[in-house]
Amino acid sequence: MSKKYDAIVIGAGNGGLTSATRLALNGMKTLLLEKHNLPGGFATSFVRGRFEFEASLHELCGISPLINDNGNLAKIFKELGVFDRIEWISLPDAYRTMTLGDGDENFDYDMPIGKENFIARAEEYVPGCRAVCEEIFDLIEQINDGVNFISNITDFKPNMVKEILDKYQNFLNLAGYSVNQVFDAMKVPKKVRDMFAGYWCYLGVNLDELNCIHYFTMFHSYICEGATIPKKRSHGISCALLDRFEELGGEAWMNTKVAQILVKDKKAYGVKLESGEEIYADYIVCNASPYNAFNKLIDRKEVPEFQLKNNNAKKLAAKGFAVFLGLNKTQEELGMKNHTYFIYDTADTKLQTDMCHSRETNGVQATVNLNAGDPDCSPAGTTILYMTSLFLGDDAWNDVTPANYVKLKREFAEKMIDNFERGTGIKIRDSIEEIEIAAPVTYAHYTDAPNGTIYGYDAVGTNSIVHRLMTMAMGDKIKHLYFAGGYTQQCIGFSPSYTTGNMAAEQILIDAAKEAANA
Amino acid sequence: MKLHKTIVVKSKSADFMNTVSMIPKRLTEIRSASAEPVTAPERFQVNAVAKALHPTELFLRIRRIEEHSPDVKSFYFTWENNVPTPYFRAGQYLTVQLKVGSSILTRPYSLASSPSSALHGEYHIMVKRVPDGFASGYILDNWKVGERVTAFAPEGNFVYEPLRDAKTVVGLAGGSGITPFLSFARAIADGTEDFNLTLLYGARTKDEIVFKAELDQIAKTCDKVKVVYVLSEAKSASAGYEKGFIGADLIKKYAPESEPYSVFVCGPGAMYRFLEKELPKLGIADKYIRMEMSAGARKLADEPGYPTDLLGKAFCLTVVNRGETTQIEAKADDSILCSLEKAGIAVPARCRSGECGFCRSKLVSGEVFIPQGVDKRRIADAQFGYIHPCCTYPLGDITLKIN
Repeated sequence: MSKKYDAIVIGAGNGGLTSATRLALNGMKTLLLEKHNLPGGFATSFVRGRFEFEASLHELCGISPLINDNGNLAKIFKELGVFDRIEWISLPDAYRTMTLGDGDENFDYDMPIGKENFIARAEEYVPGCRAVCEEIFDLIEQINDGVNFISNITDFKPNMVKEILDKYQNFLNLAGYSVNQVFDAMKVPKKVRDMFAGYWCYLGVNLDELNCIHYFTMFHSYICEGATIPKKRSHGISCALLDRFEELGGEAWMNTKVAQILVKDKKAYGVKLESGEEIYADYIVCNASPYNAFNKLIDRKEVPEFQLKNNNAKKLAAKGFAVFLGLNKTQEELGMKNHTYFIYDTADTKLQTDMCHSRETNGVQATVNLNAGDPDCSPAGTTILYMTSLFLGDDAWNDVTPANYVKLKREFAEKMIDNFERGTGIKIRDSIEEIEIAAPVTYAHYTDAPNGTIYGYDAVGTNSIVHRLMTMAMGDKIKHLYFAGGYTQQCIGFSPSYTTGNMAAEQILIDAAKEAANA
Repeated sequence: MKLHKTIVVKSKSADFMNTVSMIPKRLTEIRSASAEPVTAPERFQVNAVAKALHPTELFLRIRRIEEHSPDVKSFYFTWENNVPTPYFRAGQYLTVQLKVGSSILTRPYSLASSPSSALHGEYHIMVKRVPDGFASGYILDNWKVGERVTAFAPEGNFVYEPLRDAKTVVGLAGGSGITPFLSFARAIADGTEDFNLTLLYGARTKDEIVFKAELDQIAKTCDKVKVVYVLSEAKSASAGYEKGFIGADLIKKYAPESEPYSVFVCGPGAMYRFLEKELPKLGIADKYIRMEMSAGARKLADEPGYPTDLLGKAFCLTVVNRGETTQIEAKADDSILCSLEKAGIAVPARCRSGECGFCRSKLVSGEVFIPQGVDKRRIADAQFGYIHPCCTYPLGDITLKIN
């Protein structure tokens, strides 16, 4: 017996979930397939003892509590009908950022959310820097407006070119430059850069190579629009989306792994499950990475040469490492007040990304005190703290074996705990009631991520977000196959993954309408 | 219109050209890239290790059976193709799958071997007959040398973690709860683990003690391991033995005096209930007390809040599995997982005590009962109607989506 759907979505990660929900909302008979026993992919949580740990989300952008009508992601969630099924918490502060290995040059800045607050704090740290800070914010806002203007164009008219040239000239002219190229041009002093640079590790690209549009729009979304977390962890978002999808008549199968995407004459027409069962559909959304899709899931002779080359022209981005701690003291007892701590070895972000190639030299961490945003996230008298580090290149964990795995990851976790204590002066070691450590092997296990990659393709050089968006429509493609998630045009992150999933579904709806009209 | 200062990196025209050249630059890079396969994900060492540690399922062969008594046997497995069995952490459990008549069920058993023996393709578990036990009886009466057993890779959180636990662990073992401690002792002795283990091993009589010779040998040759046998039915204490039950006084007698220690517990339900009153007397932080979950059968009638008038009744369980619907019987006193297994529906299940989450399923309709203390669900799962069938009981007809 063969089954037939309008659309099949492979993978219930963030992109798969929004894709499936959008398709179901528009009346497509949709089947969502997930290999794991729960939705979310990286967007999940797990319980140890009396703690429920967030597995991956640090802070979400795009909900934007500080702006009218909320942000882009909120708009999508509202349209899909899940916004009110998730309890949102606005974060009280941006980040405390510091370096440990720069000797006399080490810094330690505690930056607030909100443009005015941010500038005022910067002025406290570096008297006289107000003017340059205002100039940076002015540029960031202009770039953000330009991105919004362009992404909201549905019907392009020639007079828009003039408007773009007039209003968004900086956006247009700087689109191909890195953050540091722009900061150099603006003669931004080192200390001011350091205060603005905190978020770079969220993208895993140093500021010599990170596209300025990419960084500034992200910075805008957190600092100017406000960051949020979901009260019930990112798993709460995953559950809300799945719940809504099923309510709309969508079918979701858990514990169901896709072995093959069926393609004939460069057109996708279904999937083959690991069980051998074939299921057919007119449209396929792949929330698995293009890396795995082109390497494993699709008959190679059906993959257009352009796609193979496009895939090979990209490097895998950062590999993940995380330490999850349930502490048996309150944040007040521990003396911890920030939500986010960025701890770097050096302010030189290029040097830092080089150091991220080995466990020995890497000391980067982005650490979250979950109780700062949600004091009730753990039982009375306790705190949840989780630390994330990044590895770049392909070799940092090549020496891992089944027998040394636990030892190697513990050694690195211990270094992260030591660095946190050294950098912040907050002692946590004796308060650890629960600990879990996730290494690249863990991410590879749960999501089949190649080499434990959590950031998709490296957004450097000509693979920046702007390059991707400009070329996304180009080249031969497999017809009726659409990709969603962190490997696609908007690069890595929670918000981009939800957004690209929604975009894939919208593209299917457009294509389906066109094809119906032509039929 | 707000006037913005124009930022110039090179020159106005060069900056504009830099933007214009982005697409051609990108396309040139794509066109000059290889069209050959890149590294297949499974060829990364990281992915290979993930697969070696977490294979979908394992096929083990029973190499040797050691009979400790008619009701207690050790089973020594080896993997079929002489490939190392997945490595694990001392204290973790192996889940075995059984096909008994038309039922398909799983049972977790703590591994008694040292992780290092997995490198030679060996696992050791011990099975004790549980009165009225379905699985234990089947295993003891049917498993023979050479038999092929389907299992799932070891897991579990009853492990020693130096970043969390004290340097010394006082292990409290009751009856067949000795197995994870045997694994700890063996792992300390062969250098896989590094901590001090003072083991208080409770049994009714000397005859019920298993692996005494090996434990004594380890204690003799390895100064990190100490073993004290505690006999509940002995007439008096004798050399190397204590008399009575393992309680606070006995723990204090053998625990380090001037430094923190952890207490690890694995044993039968009666032991846990006794220790609930004893452990607080130690005055140590909760983080230093770790109890292996108890997968033993619960007495529903004793659970606070359970409507006992339902006992003995049977309900209709509608099971939704990948779009297909079947209806089976669900007895009020059977966990929902148990009813699924009896009906021969294979469900992913491991720990059977609410913790691991493998059996997580959606309760589409109907009312259920979850005993106190076993609800380890994520908060969003509780909100959106997911349950862990291994520790959830029907209160009427229910519909459950398992996949």
